[in-house]
Amino acid sequence: MSIPVLICDDSTLARKQVKKSLPADWDVTTQFATNGREAVDILRQEKFAVLFLDLTMPELDGIGVLEINKAEKLVDFVIVVSADIQPEMQQKVTELGALAFIQKPVNTNKLSEILQQYGLL
Amino acid sequence: MNEIALSEEQRDCLQELINVAMGRASDKLARYLDTFVHLQVPHIDLIASESLPSSFAESYADDGVSLVSQGFYGEDGILGEALLIYRSNDAQGIAEILGYEPDDVSEVEQLTDISSILTTTFLNGLAEQIENQLAYSAPRVVSALETALESHLHQLSFNWDLALKVDISYQVTDYSFNCDMILLIPGEAIQNIQKVLDRILNEF
Repeated sequence: MSIPVLICDDSTLARKQVKKSLPADWDVTTQFATNGREAVDILRQEKFAVLFLDLTMPELDGIGVLEINKAEKLVDFVIVVSADIQPEMQQKVTELGALAFIQKPVNTNKLSEILQQYGLL
Repeated sequence: MNEIALSEEQRDCLQELINVAMGRASDKLARYLDTFVHLQVPHIDLIASESLPSSFAESYADDGVSLVSQGFYGEDGILGEALLIYRSNDAQGIAEILGYEPDDVSEVEQLTDISSILTTTFLNGLAEQIENQLAYSAPRVVSALETALESHLHQLSFNWDLALKVDISYQVTDYSFNCDMILLIPGEAIQNIQKVLDRILNEF
């Protein structure tokens, strides 16, 4: 059965970049959210195995999504994909329960490594 | 004025490239100063050369500003100017941030230090993503004197009618120090960057 994956980013290009960098042999169905608010709405209605999450977004940013997810346990695996790579930000998202932090633009090998590490692949 | 406009896809693509480049610049600055830089969504616009000085005046009317201006040029006709703008109050705070003693180094040197970190990291990040090699001209510091600033802006806008203008803001929260980066990609270089954006868009 394919794994449901949600990709949340306000940039169309970034969403496509993440989707394209998913391992070819990974059996997934992907859905998109264009900001944090939309992601939360979708996550509250449907069950997803993995969330790829951008940080700097309108409406509700990635930190906001992580805070809601921490309280409501909407999705188990959150992988932050961000252009904001400052040490303090990486620490903050880890504290809020994100599994991993990937620097934009996404590196396919790095992504595979992380997925394998957590037994997702 | 030429009929140039960015498509929605091109704008989205450029914004994402800028996001990544400014993320890297902020990270470098954050590590250098051991602080946190607050990122905001960059603003992309087309600007006519004659409105450049007035748009500056509008944004920085009440504050004396200093700026560091650096040209860049690469392959495929990609070129432009990166401006880093400091409000004078903030410029004075830079010495403190960098841990300099008073009179250690001139304000000009301090501005050049911060600017080289931000501008070089930003432009390298941009160049890498568009698979280009950029060369840089020597940075020029333009003082807070109004006349110097105005003549610099006139000089900058001398060769073009229309430029792509990207506004980026760096806010260092701990030190309440802000500076703005303005990227100007003028004239034909706009079409050249549009070709690059289309190439990237075609890959995805």
